[in-house]
Amino acid sequence: MKHLYSILILSVFLFASCNQSKKVENSGEKKIKVGVTLLSMQNEFIVNISDEMNKKAEELGVELISVDAEHQPLKQIEQVESFIAQKVDVIIMNPCEVEASSPAVTKALAAKIPIINVNSATSTKPTAFVGSNDVESARIAMKFIADQLGGKGNVVMIHGLMGQAAQIQREQGAKEILKDYPELKLLAHQTGEWDRAKSMDLMQNWIQSYGTKINAVFAQNDEMGLGALKALQDAGLKDKVIVVSIDAIADALQAVKKGSLDATVFQNAKQQGAGAIETAVKIAKGQPYEKELMIPFQLVTKDNVGQFLKK
Amino acid sequence: MQYIKTLRQYGIFVVFIIISLILSFISPQFLTVSNWTIIITQASINALLAFGVTFVIITGGIDLSLGSMVAVTGVTAAMLAHPDTFPVVLPIFAGLLTGLLMGIFNGFIITKSKIAPFIVTLGTMTIGRGLALIMSKGRPISNLSDSFNFIGGGDVFGIPFPIIVLAIIFTICSITLKKTLLGRYIYAVGGNEQAARASGINVNQVKMAVYSISGLLAGLAGVLLTSRITTGQPNAGAGFELDAIAAAVIGGTSTSGGTGTITGTLVGVLLIGVINNGLDLLNVSSYYQQVVMGAIIIGAVVLDSWNQKSNS
Amino acid sequence: MPSNSQNILQVQNLSKSFLGVKALDNIQFDLQKGEIHALMGENGAGKSTFMKILMGLLKPDSGEIIFEGEVLKSNNVHENLQKGISMIHQEILVVPELTVAQNIFLGRETNYRSWLNDKAINQKAQEILDAIGIKINAQTKIKNLSIAEMQMVEIAKAISNNAKVIIMDEPTSALTDNEVAMLFKIIKDLKAKGVAIIYISHKMDEIYEITDKITVLRDGQYIATKNTNELDKNALIALMVGRQINDLRAAFRFLENNSIKGESILSVQNLNKKGKFKDINFEVHAGEVLGIAGLMGAGRTEIARAIFGLDKYDSGEIIIKGNKVEIKSPEDAIKNGIGYVSEDRKALGFIPALSIKENISLSSLGNFAKTWFVNASNEHEAATRLSTDLKIKSTSINQKVMTLSGGNQQKVVIGKVLLTAPSLVILDEPTRGIDIGAKFEIYKLINQLTDKGIAVIMISSELPEILGMSDRIMVLSKGKQTALLSKQEATQEKIMQYAVE
Repeated sequence: MKHLYSILILSVFLFASCNQSKKVENSGEKKIKVGVTLLSMQNEFIVNISDEMNKKAEELGVELISVDAEHQPLKQIEQVESFIAQKVDVIIMNPCEVEASSPAVTKALAAKIPIINVNSATSTKPTAFVGSNDVESARIAMKFIADQLGGKGNVVMIHGLMGQAAQIQREQGAKEILKDYPELKLLAHQTGEWDRAKSMDLMQNWIQSYGTKINAVFAQNDEMGLGALKALQDAGLKDKVIVVSIDAIADALQAVKKGSLDATVFQNAKQQGAGAIETAVKIAKGQPYEKELMIPFQLVTKDNVGQFLKK
Repeated sequence: MQYIKTLRQYGIFVVFIIISLILSFISPQFLTVSNWTIIITQASINALLAFGVTFVIITGGIDLSLGSMVAVTGVTAAMLAHPDTFPVVLPIFAGLLTGLLMGIFNGFIITKSKIAPFIVTLGTMTIGRGLALIMSKGRPISNLSDSFNFIGGGDVFGIPFPIIVLAIIFTICSITLKKTLLGRYIYAVGGNEQAARASGINVNQVKMAVYSISGLLAGLAGVLLTSRITTGQPNAGAGFELDAIAAAVIGGTSTSGGTGTITGTLVGVLLIGVINNGLDLLNVSSYYQQVVMGAIIIGAVVLDSWNQKSNS
Repeated sequence: MPSNSQNILQVQNLSKSFLGVKALDNIQFDLQKGEIHALMGENGAGKSTFMKILMGLLKPDSGEIIFEGEVLKSNNVHENLQKGISMIHQEILVVPELTVAQNIFLGRETNYRSWLNDKAINQKAQEILDAIGIKINAQTKIKNLSIAEMQMVEIAKAISNNAKVIIMDEPTSALTDNEVAMLFKIIKDLKAKGVAIIYISHKMDEIYEITDKITVLRDGQYIATKNTNELDKNALIALMVGRQINDLRAAFRFLENNSIKGESILSVQNLNKKGKFKDINFEVHAGEVLGIAGLMGAGRTEIARAIFGLDKYDSGEIIIKGNKVEIKSPEDAIKNGIGYVSEDRKALGFIPALSIKENISLSSLGNFAKTWFVNASNEHEAATRLSTDLKIKSTSINQKVMTLSGGNQQKVVIGKVLLTAPSLVILDEPTRGIDIGAKFEIYKLINQLTDKGIAVIMISSELPEILGMSDRIMVLSKGKQTALLSKQEATQEKIMQYAVE
């Protein structure tokens, strides 16, 4: 008996849902379905991108399936495979790794499902890319330091997690600028693992070994920049050292406003998120789209911080 | 036999002295008051966690949830520590209480279900991380009051507050383990759980106590960390449990239970701190730092197993 | 070198010290083919160290071992095994989850082809088992065997190794009389085949029944080697303890228990535990010794464990000094004045890594504490007092218990129980595996306890001990209480009769 009931209920349910989807089709507006896999929802910047995607999707009537890859490329590939199985219209991927996430792109393309990379790249070319060039962000930050120091002085650099795309590209950008300024010396560089507490410890140790020799700190993200800043403030050295980092998270903007952090580089999470969804919709509808939508970086200093705080 | 035990502690202490001497020769900044103040301040958070896990390991257990507890308690404290909201006592108390409750939860599941502590605390570790992200919505919680930030950043007569906290907790933990009933029972349960039960010891109560202590100290570490970096980070403390366990093991706590001291653990913590600091001072690449640290942990465990063999 | 071609094993001037303490000092020992040679000595005399050296587990500091005319240099167990020296351990070292055959050939599987070949192993193992007349299927898992059967498997393992010398360390300590008889038959067969046996036991009657020669060690020193039939019991005991002790019966007479029965301390009514024991009823009074006799597996230890709160019982009542009590844990039992000295010292007795002092005070630590803190001087004083009373041999009461000999460990456990000031003490095989000198000390101690009005329950497999010490004797068979005999009516024969009922 029980079985009969459940079959009955199930079939009623199925019927109802069939009907519903038919209705949508009838109205001529089939909802576009987009699968999104994100590097990590533990990262504030990614959370910002995700929030913007959700907002934009609602606005355009797109159905979003959002999942967290938790920094694991393998997991990300599995998620993309499941999107393929669900027959989504477009996949948006915020890749974990340049190489390791590439198979996901290959698989999606093989299944004839368009895939868009957002924020960072993979070695296999996707259907479209929306994001910013990390190398550029570091160039902007380092250029600022060079200008402030008059092209002369000692810099220390705090890396992100070694081997990650963002770390590699930000290091590359910084080194390009350093090459242009031979009198700008890289005194030391170590990883702060994107972590505020770790960078604070690192900066304290550097202050011990280099003392007042350090003229500027370049941290590859704001969390680490703020950690270094705290260490410098505690040691009473902030007035003598320039601190610049990247991402323009809320804490960093506050610090710029107070004048403690000298500059951060604004990477436009909102435009990246919105741009990705807009591109996805264009592709799904067969409209023309930009294969590489570059969202420009902006240097944030005390002078212009106001406009970013409002955003 | 007594002298072998002390020799073992001296053993790691000697290693500590030798490494410190080498570093002071290579780096002139190493052996300065200001540098040591920094080393101890930086080590204080790991020390609190390592003390807690020492209690747990002596009973033959393990606590893998330390890092996550740091995140949850830190976020809890940060949420209540905005300026002009509550008196500073409240966030501190809330952080400690959250840690204690998580510790009690660990102890409760371990004693009631008889599931291995490794598995239970692995579960709590994941749950804790999730809770921290839920509570903070994945974003760091900043804008904390100055009085709250004093805990991790301030100093009293030139001594950083974390060092004062460390000294107090060290004394309490040491005395607890050496001089109290609980301390003796902890050694007994780790040395031979069945015999401890047959001697009339309430083994479950002892286990509840050690996991609660571990949780409480993780709470304190969470509050201290949050205050030090002036923000509550949901992803703070990842991997901290491994540093804490390493410090305890380096300091002579046997992972099979029954032996270990708080002093030994403190030496382990300082050794890790000194190596981190020294390698930074010398600007040794982070890659090599990891290799050196791993080698020291293995060395300590090998030393430990040799001593156990020579004991029996 | 070999003075006698019949000598398979010759040991000359063997010495070994640990941390400066001499465990063996100039040991001499000769063993002939087909000889059963008893090695006697009190606990701590150096027997285990000596055997460990023979097995290759330890390296001697000086001296020589000549095996089959060649100097044995290795300190490698595997090599010694291959040369033909095997040991049947006191604690049985078998792998419970493997079969009998797999255990017999453990570590030597490849002798029978390069891949694991259970069939060949099973067949070979069964042949060996049948040859010595043991009725065990080679494919049974070890965990399903009785302790006696496991021991037989160990012997089969030694035989399969073509052992020329087999060391047996207390082989009968866990066996019933029938099983002992079977073991002795096997030993005699081995002897006939020229295998030499080193036999270590505390049981006098066994030594006299089966051995040809006796070598006595005392305090790490070689004392004497005599033919068994030329050495009477008293002389042997004198050699072992280094002083004259009258024979067993005289000693029991000396220890005659004159205390007067007092009030009822413990009354057990209709105690049941499914599969373990059924309808147990007895009473123990102050100053009385109640002996519990029975064969292995009769439920003696299980009853003790239930009364002490280590295991749950299904139904029945435990009444202490007239009050019905509920005992859910050892903690409750101790609070109710019950003390338990387990037969399994290692598992339940003591904490090896803690000191004598810390072990003795463990059950009554609350009495030496102000709120949370241990009062070190009170604790030290009490532990010192008990250690002296019980004559625990140690360098200091801070010595770790794991470094003590079996007899001294037992005394530490007893000390721990006594410090809780119990009104009832349960002694489960209190003299198992300990030497004669220490045995008498424990008998004396039991009398001291009853003199103080403490009730004692003594579980023992040794009938002379039960008969000599008990005021009344409860006999168990297969979990049932078959008799409750008074001292006057009890005899060895009667007890055995009820035990197999």
